[in-house]
Amino acid sequence: MFKARMKFAKEGRARFISHLDLMHTMQRAMARCEMPLWFTEGFNQHAYVSVALPLSTGFSGEWELLDFNLLSESVPLNAVEALNDVFPKGLRAIEIYALADGGMPIRDIAWSKYRVTWTFPEGAPAELADAARELFSRETVEILKRSKRGENLVNLKELLRTLEIEETVDAVVLTAVTAAGNNNLSPEYLTRAMNQYYPAFDLSYANYHRMCVYNGEMQEFR
Amino acid sequence: MQSRLEMILPRVQKPARYVGGEWGSVMKDRQETELRFAFCFPDVYEVGMSHLGSRILYGLLNAQDGIWCERVFAPWVDMEKEMRAAGLPLYALESGDPLCDFDIIGFTLQYELSFTNILNMLDLGGVPPLASERTGLKNLVVAGGPCAYNPEPLCDFIDLFMIGDGEEVMLELTGLYREAKRGGWPKAEFLTRAAQIEGVYVPSLYEVDYREDGTIDRVTPLAGAPALVQKRIVADLDTMYYPDSFVVPSTDIVFDRAMVELFRGCPRGCRFCQAGHTYRPLRTKSPETLLRQARAVLKNSGYEEISLSSLSTSDYGGLSELTGAMLDFCEPRHISLSLPSLRADSFNVELMERVQKVRKSGLTFAPEAGSKRLRDVINKNLEEDDLLNACEIAFRGGWNNIKLYFMIGLPTETSEDLDGIAEICKKVAYFWRMNTTNRGRGVKVTASASCFVPKPQTPFQWDAQNTLEMLAGKQDYMKRIMKTKNVTYNWHDAETSVLEGAIARGDRRQGKAIYTAWKNGCVFDGWDALFSLEKWNDAFSACGLDPLWYAARQRPLDERFPWDHIGCGTRKEHLLDEWRKSREAIPTPDCMTKCAGCGANALLKGGKCRV
Repeated sequence: MFKARMKFAKEGRARFISHLDLMHTMQRAMARCEMPLWFTEGFNQHAYVSVALPLSTGFSGEWELLDFNLLSESVPLNAVEALNDVFPKGLRAIEIYALADGGMPIRDIAWSKYRVTWTFPEGAPAELADAARELFSRETVEILKRSKRGENLVNLKELLRTLEIEETVDAVVLTAVTAAGNNNLSPEYLTRAMNQYYPAFDLSYANYHRMCVYNGEMQEFR
Repeated sequence: MQSRLEMILPRVQKPARYVGGEWGSVMKDRQETELRFAFCFPDVYEVGMSHLGSRILYGLLNAQDGIWCERVFAPWVDMEKEMRAAGLPLYALESGDPLCDFDIIGFTLQYELSFTNILNMLDLGGVPPLASERTGLKNLVVAGGPCAYNPEPLCDFIDLFMIGDGEEVMLELTGLYREAKRGGWPKAEFLTRAAQIEGVYVPSLYEVDYREDGTIDRVTPLAGAPALVQKRIVADLDTMYYPDSFVVPSTDIVFDRAMVELFRGCPRGCRFCQAGHTYRPLRTKSPETLLRQARAVLKNSGYEEISLSSLSTSDYGGLSELTGAMLDFCEPRHISLSLPSLRADSFNVELMERVQKVRKSGLTFAPEAGSKRLRDVINKNLEEDDLLNACEIAFRGGWNNIKLYFMIGLPTETSEDLDGIAEICKKVAYFWRMNTTNRGRGVKVTASASCFVPKPQTPFQWDAQNTLEMLAGKQDYMKRIMKTKNVTYNWHDAETSVLEGAIARGDRRQGKAIYTAWKNGCVFDGWDALFSLEKWNDAFSACGLDPLWYAARQRPLDERFPWDHIGCGTRKEHLLDEWRKSREAIPTPDCMTKCAGCGANALLKGGKCRV
C-alpha cells in the first residue's frame, strides 16, 4: 500500500458539489474504474479519500488535491484517463502520482491563487476597478473575519500577498494570492470588503476560481 | 449552463439539485431526436432520484433510437422564487431546455399530496396546466404510477394515463406518438387512437353522470374507448428491460444506492395496502437475472450498497441462496447489501448476519397494529410471539436498534388496540434487557405511528377515514401511554393524512379544488413545513365540495366508485369479500398457502400464477 495524490479540476456544474458529496462522488468514480483503493477497516468500512483545502460550494478550481491509499505496486497505467472516463461533468483528473514522488505535506500549503470575477451582464460600472485598486492599496483594510474562535477584526492586507485588477466589458477580474491553511482567507472577503468600504457598488454576484496552490516558499504545491 | 441559472444558484439551498451532468445521465443530439420526453417527478430531486420506477423508464426510453428522455424535478420554493424572478422557465436537467419544448411530458404519480406540484411544474415550464388549454399534439401531458389507479382528481390536467406496469405500454404510446407527429395528426385524433392501446386511459373520452347525493351514476365511454381500462402487466420479468447503469447523483439523495427488483406483486394481501392489491399477480425474477443485473448496476454505478427491493423481500423463494451469491460478489468489493421489507415471522438471524457483515444497520419490523384482533382485521398475519422471537434472536446477535411501524385510525380500532402498541414496545424493550449480550450499550426502540388513509382498489375502499379530531385524540392518547424507557415514539402529522384521504378517493369534480388550492399557493403539500389545511379547506368549499364527504364517509357496499372503470387486476368482488372478512377479523392466507381468487391471474397467459 502506498499514498497517492490526484490533482484535479472542479469546474462548471461540478462546482456546486459540496465537500462531503465530492468525497462520495470520488469514491464512486474510483469504484467504477476499479482503482485499487484501500478501505478503512472497522464498523463502517469505506474507501479512504481526503480532500485538501476543500473549496466552498459554488467555487471552482483547477489545482484541487485528493489524497488516497492504493493497494497496488504503483499508480495504474492510464489512471487519469480511466477516471476521466467515469467522472460526472465538470470533474477532471489532471495528474495522479505517488506521494513519495515529490508530494508535499498538506500542512505546508500556505497560499492560494484565486480569480475573482465580479460580473455585470449589463456592463461593469466604470469606477469599480479604480475603487478596488484604491481600497486594496491601503495599508490596512479592516474586516470582520469569522474563524473557529469567533469573529475577529483583522487586517485583510496581511493575508493578501498579491493582487491584480483587470477590467473587461462586463466584468472586473481580480487575481489574488491569499493566505491558505491555518490563516485561510476566503476570496469572498475581497467582495465583502468592497461592499463594506464601497457599498454603492452593491456587488451581489461573484465567481471564485482557484488557479493554484503554493507552499510557504511560493512553490507550486505538489 | 445558462448564465441566468449560474447567477441564481449561489443563492439557493442545495444547488447541486439543479445542475445535472451526473454520471450516467444521457445526452443526445437534438437534431437526431424525433421525440423528446420530459420525465417529471413532482417532488424534489433527492426524492425523485430515489425512485426505481423512474430509473427503469428513463433507461428504457433512452435505449430507443430517436427518443431522448430527460429528467425534471420540482424546484424547492427558494429556487422557484428565484426562477420566477429571473424569468427562467423550468428546464430539464440534461439539455437545460424548457418544459414547453418537449413533445411528451410525463409525470409519475407516487403520492396524492404531490398533485399541486404537477400544476406548478407545468406552469413554471411554460405549459398550461389545464388539458383543455393545450390544443396541439405538442406538450402532451401523460401520467402513470400508483395514483393512476384513481386518476379522476387529475382529469382536468392530464391528457392520458397509463395504468399498470409502464415498460411495454410506454413504447407502444411513444410509437403511436411518433406516427402522429410524422402524420401531423390533431391532438383529438391521437387521443382517440391512443385510447385503443391496452392500459391507456384518456379521461376526456369518458362522460361522468352524478346522482343527486353526489355519487357516480354512470360513466359513459365515447369514441370507442373501452368501458374498463384494465392495467398492463409485464408477464416475464426476466426478459423485461432493466437498466445496466443508474444515474449516480453527485449529491446525497434519500435512497442513495443501487437496487434490483426481486419480484413485482405481493403474496400477502394486507387489506390496507394499495400496492399489495394493484401489483398482482406475483411475478418473480430468477436469481440468475438478479445476479447479472446487480453486477452490471454495481459495476457501472460504483455504488457501495445495493438493496434487494420488493414489497415483501422475505417471501422471495431462495432468498438465502441469492444473498449468498450476491455477497460473493459484494464482500470483496466492500459493497453492502440491504434487505428492506423483511417480515418478523420469517426473520433469519444467520441471513441477517451474513448480509450485514460489511456494514451493520438497524432492523425494522412493521406489525402495523397493536392487537392480534386488529392485525387479523387488516390481514397482517403476524403473531406477537413471532415478532418477539425475532427481536430475541436479534438482541442475542448484538443488534440494539429496532424500529417498529404502526398505523392508527384503522377500521374497527378501539383504545385497546392502541394500548396494544404500547404493550408491544414495552415487551420489545424487556426482551432486550433479558437477551442482550451487552446491557451497557443500551437499546433504541423507535415506534412510529402513521395515520391510516383508506385507498382506492383495496378492501378498505368502502371505509370512513378517521376525522382530524379523532386522529388528534388518538395521537394524544398514544403520547400519554408511550412511556417506556428506551422507546422513542414518533407520530405523523394527521392534517396531511386527512387531505390525502380526501383526494385518494376523489372524483373529477376535485380538479377545480386542486386548481384553486394551487392558485392559492399550495405546493409541496406532503412537506409539513409548507402544508396548509386551511388553504385546502378553503379551496374545497370554494368549489362546493366537502373533503369529509370524500374521506370520512362510510360508503354503502353497492356504491359505484369514480375509479370503477379502471382495472387493477384484482376484482371488486374479491375486494368486497375481503372487506366482509375484515369485519369478522377473519384472515386470508397468503398466495403461497392458498389462492384467494383475487382474479389477477387472468392477466397472465394460461391464467395461472407462479407462486
